[in-house]
Amino acid sequence: MNLVLRLAWRNLWRQPRRTWLTTGAMVFSNVLLVFMISLQFGMYRLMIENSLQAFTGHMQVQARGYNDDKKMRQTVPDIVALANDLRTELGSDEVAARATAFALASSEDRSYGIAVFGVEPQFEPNVSSIPGLVRDGRYLDSNDAAEIVIGAVLARNLRVEVGDELTLLGSGKDGSFAAVVADVVGIFDSGVAELDRTIAEMPLGLFQDVFYMRGEGHQVAVNAPRLGQVAELRQRVAGLLPAEQDLVVQDWDALLPGLKQAIQADISSAVFMYGVLVILVAFSVLNTQLMSVLERTHEFGIVLALGLKPGRLGRLVMLETAMMGTIGLLIGALIGGALTAWLGVQGFTMPGMDEMGAKFNLPSRLHPEVTIASLLSGPAVVFLFSLLASVYPALRLRRLHPVEAMRAA
Amino acid sequence: MTAVRCVDLCKTYRQGDQDIKALDHLSMEVEDGGFVCLSSPSGGGKTTLLNAIGGLDKPDSGEVYIAGDRIDNLSKGALAELRLHRIGFVFQAFNLIPVLSARENVEFVMQVQGVPASERRGKSLEILEEVGLEGLEDRLPSEMSGGQQQRVAVARAIVSNPALVLADEPTANLDSKTADGLIDLFKHLNEHHGTTFIIATHDQRVMAYAKRLVRMLDGRIVEEIDQNAA
Amino acid sequence: MNTLRILTMLAWRNLWRNHRRTLIMLGAVVIGVWAMIFMTALTMGMVNDMIEDSISVLPGHVQVHHPDYLDDPNITNLLPLTDDVIAETFESAGFLAWATRIKVPAVLSSERESRGVTLLGIDPQREEVMSFVDYGAVEGRFLDGPDDAGLVIGRKLAETLETELGKRVVLMSQDPDNDIADRGFRVVGLFSADVQAYEEQYVFAGKKTVQNLLRVGDRVTAIVVLGDDYRNVEPVYEKVHALVDDGVTVSRWTELDTYLGTMLRVMDGFVIVWVIIIFLALSFGLVNTLVMAVFERVREIGLMLALGMKPSSILGQIVIESMMLLVIGLAIGNLLAWASIKPLESGIDVSVVAEGMAMMGAASVLYPQLRFEDVILANTVVLILGFFASLSPAWRASRFQPIEAITKVN
Repeated sequence: MNLVLRLAWRNLWRQPRRTWLTTGAMVFSNVLLVFMISLQFGMYRLMIENSLQAFTGHMQVQARGYNDDKKMRQTVPDIVALANDLRTELGSDEVAARATAFALASSEDRSYGIAVFGVEPQFEPNVSSIPGLVRDGRYLDSNDAAEIVIGAVLARNLRVEVGDELTLLGSGKDGSFAAVVADVVGIFDSGVAELDRTIAEMPLGLFQDVFYMRGEGHQVAVNAPRLGQVAELRQRVAGLLPAEQDLVVQDWDALLPGLKQAIQADISSAVFMYGVLVILVAFSVLNTQLMSVLERTHEFGIVLALGLKPGRLGRLVMLETAMMGTIGLLIGALIGGALTAWLGVQGFTMPGMDEMGAKFNLPSRLHPEVTIASLLSGPAVVFLFSLLASVYPALRLRRLHPVEAMRAA
Repeated sequence: MTAVRCVDLCKTYRQGDQDIKALDHLSMEVEDGGFVCLSSPSGGGKTTLLNAIGGLDKPDSGEVYIAGDRIDNLSKGALAELRLHRIGFVFQAFNLIPVLSARENVEFVMQVQGVPASERRGKSLEILEEVGLEGLEDRLPSEMSGGQQQRVAVARAIVSNPALVLADEPTANLDSKTADGLIDLFKHLNEHHGTTFIIATHDQRVMAYAKRLVRMLDGRIVEEIDQNAA
Repeated sequence: MNTLRILTMLAWRNLWRNHRRTLIMLGAVVIGVWAMIFMTALTMGMVNDMIEDSISVLPGHVQVHHPDYLDDPNITNLLPLTDDVIAETFESAGFLAWATRIKVPAVLSSERESRGVTLLGIDPQREEVMSFVDYGAVEGRFLDGPDDAGLVIGRKLAETLETELGKRVVLMSQDPDNDIADRGFRVVGLFSADVQAYEEQYVFAGKKTVQNLLRVGDRVTAIVVLGDDYRNVEPVYEKVHALVDDGVTVSRWTELDTYLGTMLRVMDGFVIVWVIIIFLALSFGLVNTLVMAVFERVREIGLMLALGMKPSSILGQIVIESMMLLVIGLAIGNLLAWASIKPLESGIDVSVVAEGMAMMGAASVLYPQLRFEDVILANTVVLILGFFASLSPAWRASRFQPIEAITKVN
């Protein structure tokens, strides 16, 4: 075996420039793949985390059908008690109850239609980043004070500042007239235009009074410690729900359907591009190995005449390819990994990323992270396809006849 | 008129840790229309001398004159011009461009010289006939025997009427019958066209024909035999 | 010129000397070129649709507003000009289309629910060419003029409000004095839009009706102008700018939708990057092929040099060989790309990821767009870079010394 390895290795270096050029193609592709895949994985994770963190949470307990229709009457009964139960059972504080309604908010000179949320001030910061992003004033601290926190864009549109009053008019759960005057105690700036423009938060107790909720609400947001644990947690939560109420646990895929699909669409186009690169490398390998085999026809003829089986010759070619592939993989992964890690520290930005990023909750500077998966998945595929490409030249060897071969130049 | 004149040529090669004197103060003259054979054992310097005369290689010292013009101090470009217009080459092997037919190989030099197509065609067919390859003009080198290939090479070497034809072991890869045919061709051309031939060889038959035989050893001329009687 | 002919002949024949190798390389070039053009067409098609979509919502390429309106889209920030004054100046300017409109936030209430919406008081005939609404596909009917007293809302909004065609709804907004302005309307039409969010957001009423409702006389909040090329709005911008004075703000669509304005630039850049990356991946194989070819021909190159051919001719020969390969590959690749895009021009259904597309601002059907400029770009890059890639092996070949080359033993 050792002899075959040595032979394969030496064969590679008979034509060093050719070997380096072929390996070069692999390295080039691998560096690109490592970088782009790392960037993508990191970007997707960030997109999901940021989007969910902003307001949605990893999952929500809701009445069945609420996610589709969003009707005020589709409620979760006794919501605060349910939230408390969940907190106890799960041993976690990352559970927060909410209720929501449409209302007309009026300041002294302006009126706007907004979505008002009644939240648990003590727990809301654990499932949403909004409380932490209060720019002026403070977040809510009591459960029934007539206070309200609004987004920066809304504040600007309504021409209000901390300390001003807002009048809210809407319909209660039973259809009756609901109204309240609240003090603006805080203004948040999440950077997400949608949130900053349409959301206002008030204490859940106040909300339930004003909108005649009778202890009911609409969502219990629950966060898992890590994104990877969401599925498992969802099962647990589902098991903890009272059976007689028709409640469901929606995971973030259902809450933000666009997000998963946007990622899927992006992945598809990326796969197409990567596929093209891999195929081009495979062609390069095919060409090289075919030429390499053809120019050694005479010598192979001699070897066959001496008694070596054609199958072993075929394996020799595959082995040569595997060696080149390994070099390409190692160097490519090394350079790609180093480049990505460096950019991970420096931060990576492209012109236009500010605006484009904002739409998907991405910062304007990305810090790609190298993981085992992102480091090896691309190069592994390149390696695999390179091997596949050398199957044809290897097969040709099996059909070689010693005498004919020796007659070749 | 002297076709070729070499004065005190020296050329040394380094091989491994040894210095090999390929040309050792060598002087020689060849007159117009001459037919000279250079012979030496392998490594004796005949190829080096031929290359120096043909402008393919520069001697370390000494002078080379072709038809009275000094050539050893010319630039690469001028040497290329020289080879193109005034000297014909026949090598031992690989004389032809594989992708061109016999006729096209013969026309090659003329085409690079800028000779118009109609004229080229006529001349090449004529020459091919003269070397006995009539009917084979459109064959590729891979479709011809070794002897036929050499004939095409000779045809190409003389088609533009060079003053001088240099041949390096032209019969080395040929069987005796073909070799004889080639030598006859050389004789014919030398007599009818007056072309000067300098042939490096250790083929006895070629040497037998030479009007003058120059034996070389270790870069020097050791013997010159006038064989005009043949 | 004779030399060029012989070089070309030699290059062509040498190309086919090892036809397996040439065909494989050709195959790679064809795939690369096809991928370049195909991907570009898909991407540009998507971007184009997104932009045209956005422009149909803004609408138009250039808009005129009160200087404070964009920050504070409130009824108090009306254009200082009146409808008839605007009509006088704009009518004769020769724009493809233009209109004036009122756009303000409002609340629409049915018997059961209320929602915040954006009220559009429009001149339907003028806006038809710019609008994202297909008037003909509206359930019921669309508005028939600026005086129309009816309301046209999105299908999804009707669902949310639990209302229907023919029912009454109440529209409530603010007038310039900050008094509530409200009125009952009958729903006369339900429209559908590619992007569902539009259906929930926008309600259409006649311009004069809205002007009356909001008590603004014949003032408006915006003038919208459509040119003929969204990539080239400067001329329209200049023209509009010349027609109005300093009391207003003139905006290009790229300023109003910075996301897409940026995306357009980014995607144009992306196309070039993609083309270059593919070419680089190809170039390894291309250079390799040439290097191998030159290596196999060392002796005959030496021969040609010995016979008096100039080194520059050797270089030329190799370069021509490479360019021939690329030109053939380009021709086939272009053809293949055209052949694969043509049948897809009626749209690629990606409704599987519809909401994701909506999030990015795209529709659920992709229409590839094969643009002449993009094809030229791809071909030019390949030819130019290919030329440079072939210079190295060609240069080395031309540096061969005749004797060494001739006597070279493998």
